[in-house]
Amino acid sequence: MSGGRRIAVTGMGAVSALGAGVAETWDAVRQGRSGIAPHLFDGGAHGPEPVTLPAALAADGFQSALEARMGRKVSASLDRFALFALCAAFEALDQAGLVGDAVLGERTAIVLGHGQGGQETLEKGYERFFGLKSPRMHPAMVPKVMVSGGVSAVAMQFGVHGPVFATSSACASSAHAIVQGAGLIQTGLADVAIVGGAEAIATPGSMSGWQAIHALAETTCRPFSQGRDGMVMGEGGAVLILEDLERAKSRGATVFGEYLGAGMTSDAFHITQPSLEGTAAAIRQACTAGDLLSQEEVLIAAHGTGTPLNDENESAALDAAFAGVAVRRPLIATKSAHGHLIGGSAAMQTIIALKAMRAGLAPPVLNFLGPDPNCDVDVVVGEARPITARHALLNAFAFGGLNVSMAFATA
Amino acid sequence: MSVTEPELLDLIAQEAIIDRDKLNREATLGDLGISSLDVITMLFELEERYGVVIEEADMPKMETLGEMVDFLMTRINEQPAKS
Repeated sequence: MSGGRRIAVTGMGAVSALGAGVAETWDAVRQGRSGIAPHLFDGGAHGPEPVTLPAALAADGFQSALEARMGRKVSASLDRFALFALCAAFEALDQAGLVGDAVLGERTAIVLGHGQGGQETLEKGYERFFGLKSPRMHPAMVPKVMVSGGVSAVAMQFGVHGPVFATSSACASSAHAIVQGAGLIQTGLADVAIVGGAEAIATPGSMSGWQAIHALAETTCRPFSQGRDGMVMGEGGAVLILEDLERAKSRGATVFGEYLGAGMTSDAFHITQPSLEGTAAAIRQACTAGDLLSQEEVLIAAHGTGTPLNDENESAALDAAFAGVAVRRPLIATKSAHGHLIGGSAAMQTIIALKAMRAGLAPPVLNFLGPDPNCDVDVVVGEARPITARHALLNAFAFGGLNVSMAFATA
Repeated sequence: MSVTEPELLDLIAQEAIIDRDKLNREATLGDLGISSLDVITMLFELEERYGVVIEEADMPKMETLGEMVDFLMTRINEQPAKS
């Protein structure tokens, strides 16, 4: 570990197509249930013909618990991505036993990652502007769209006065957020950090953009499988409570895992294609930080988007980083269940990896048609597989060549 | 373009997120928790649904729901559709 203070995970919250709550999420991935289904994307009176695409969308009722605690107007005052962030933050802070705790006042940070911010609000606003040709925009549009709307909502709800900001690095946004939050604790700027991410960009206009770059699968997401043809858009949020380990122990908090360190690199190469050098370097740094190469078994929580190029590159990067060591590496890729949460993905997959290590059970990669000879990885398929791993490696490799790998240990 | 009072009350309940059965003409906007942002949201929905443009700045100071309903119904029912 690189910093002086050790970092515990003392709370977790999640919402996605798999359900509202970590328990529902874990049950679904453990049992191999998918949240992916065909959905109609209709751009309305001023849009093109509606299209049906596979996506993993959160059920409409996810706001109910939020509205019960904050009033029904919360759903109108925030964009969907910020509602996801709040939902997950409530659950995580509840679990950590920190709601109303004095530490939230001055010694707590919030760092959440989002690829785009309030896309739904933006599209509705632009429909008025370009479609209805209305010169009047809603005064709440800007605060709902801004990428920091989520962290501000969480800060206001829980009275958090420490360092609060959002990170944005496409699919790695919440990984950068976790690393930044841990760093704030390690450098003494906070004792607790509310970290993670959320995204809600499964909107008609946004989906059209994702189609244009040929990133979306025709049918479903099948990471590392032969016949894979792309990612499936998901939505939701995931939040972890990071806390100084000694503080967590002294207050008797349940520790679900420990953040050991990370690697962060930039490919400086291509806006959509990955680079083996950049991703392997991030993995190597995380392996060093977490002492992963000396373990008997490390759970690999792969970025695993299901696109042909990304999975092949990630497989090669893992091989390069673990070359010459005999570490068993069962690999999970749960975007096949909850879709790609973009800014929320890394945090969601971190939570699942921590749950998997505690349960001693690696959830299966879904929709697997058979191994791809170009992906030399130990993919967990079929049913959940018993594991003994006490350490996990989490990868998040974003468009633009922004790479984060993180090392965790189970408690 | 015309709107009935029940239709307008449905819209107010939906946009200001208030239980429909709590809406009565004598209730003040403050009692109902209708903020200026709620009013703007209602005006936007009226524009999209009925094609009538009502500026918030044109609205007189109103105390009760009944006053607001009367004002909005008059404006909607007298204004030609925008398109």
